Amino acid sequence: MLLKNSYLVFKKDLSSELRTRYVINSLLMFVLVIISIIRFAIGDEKVDNEILTGLLWIAIFFTSVSGLSRTFVKEEEKETSFSLKLSTGSNSVILGKLFFNLILTFSLNLLILFLFVIITDYEIKNFSGFMIVIVFGNLGLVSASTIIAAIISKANSKGTLYPVLSFPVLLPLLITVINATKLASVGVETGKLLGEIQILLSYFIVVTVASLMLFKYVWED
Amino acid sequence: MSSLYDFLETNSLYIVLLIVLIIWVGIFGYLRSLDKKIKKLEEK
Amino acid sequence: MKNFITYAIFVIISAVIILGLALPIPDIPALGDKARVLYFHVPMSWISVLAFFMSMWYSIRYLKTRDHNYDIKSYSSAQLGFLFCILATATGSLWAKFSWGSFWNWDPRQTSIFILLLIYGAYFALRSAIESEDQRAKLSSVYSIIAAVTVPFFVFIMPRIVESLHPDPILNTQGKINMDSSMLTVFLSALVGFTMLYLWMLDLKIRAEKLNYKKLSLTD
Repeated sequence: MLLKNSYLVFKKDLSSELRTRYVINSLLMFVLVIISIIRFAIGDEKVDNEILTGLLWIAIFFTSVSGLSRTFVKEEEKETSFSLKLSTGSNSVILGKLFFNLILTFSLNLLILFLFVIITDYEIKNFSGFMIVIVFGNLGLVSASTIIAAIISKANSKGTLYPVLSFPVLLPLLITVINATKLASVGVETGKLLGEIQILLSYFIVVTVASLMLFKYVWED
Repeated sequence: MSSLYDFLETNSLYIVLLIVLIIWVGIFGYLRSLDKKIKKLEEK
Repeated sequence: MKNFITYAIFVIISAVIILGLALPIPDIPALGDKARVLYFHVPMSWISVLAFFMSMWYSIRYLKTRDHNYDIKSYSSAQLGFLFCILATATGSLWAKFSWGSFWNWDPRQTSIFILLLIYGAYFALRSAIESEDQRAKLSSVYSIIAAVTVPFFVFIMPRIVESLHPDPILNTQGKINMDSSMLTVFLSALVGFTMLYLWMLDLKIRAEKLNYKKLSLTD
């Protein structure tokens, strides 16, 4: 029942997004802008993998903080949150939104990564390990961003507040994931990254459980 | 300025004194602001 | 009783200041007299963490009971925690200047206190961005709980990243300060004294905020 309802919320978001393309279009442009900034900032220099990994995560972080808040802010702005409240429980709302944001972030990250590898000579020596780290990093990134997006949607000055609120919460994740992607890109075996992956996974679980427990307080009026 | 630095470097006890002073100033400033706030409440 | 406690706080902290500066301490390589800073710096960091988790605890109580007093307590504790966090940062960076050579060098401990500052800052930014009282109480409670569940991750992450210069039994065993019994006594009394000072200030702050709240609801 819960899963079915969350799937419905997810489908509703997806179809409304595909219809209006509000988030997708502006996010695609955002990705292009940030990638070209990186391109012009480094020019033709040969840059270390360490710095490139940092730049990659700057692109990912700012793309997600500029896009992920939309799912909840949209409901408040278009005043559809009330009917959503009537039609389904809070848990299915947060799960559905979480799933939607996950799909959004995964596809955006693939795009960012693709463009990033093209414009810089970013060499990924352990590709499978790199992708595993990116996937687990995204899980945590999305789980924390989604609950904070829910908080933000009820406050004023949402745009500036979102990075301010999400940064300290995301920092443990970012530090770990940047470190792990750096290691994977220079060719450390996946087995040696297990500690980092464990931290990323437990971050995701802890934050998701906390969001499930707390979301009902944010959602109700 | 550098002489002050050297002085503190050699007499490190004064660094401790400086740190105690920082804490005292911080707490005192906070209590002052709280005092002001209560005064404003009383006037209302 | 209350009078007695406030006098006790006065006596303990005065004694800590006097004994902390005057009592001879065992010879500690590379730190020397600077090791005395720990009597004052460690309680600051300890209170900023304590106040953070107290604030989280009151937030949980608020969400459970919807009693507005808990929101006042949570907010007051966060504000005091912010004050002590600033003091810990200031005293710590002064100490760092003289023992490591620079005010700020992103040592794991400095990074942790910086993150705590960021969380407190974000918490107050969130509070000031919400007008409705109930919404503000509810959302800031949720945020402080979310922030509090992510903070413990630093305990696992920090040792993996960089080596610490911070003298600490957990992070850096080489730099451990071996305290003799007199030093330990002063240190523990400093912890107790400053914690009591924090609780007293918290009580004052809560009473002031409660008065404020009553005034506001009367004028509405």
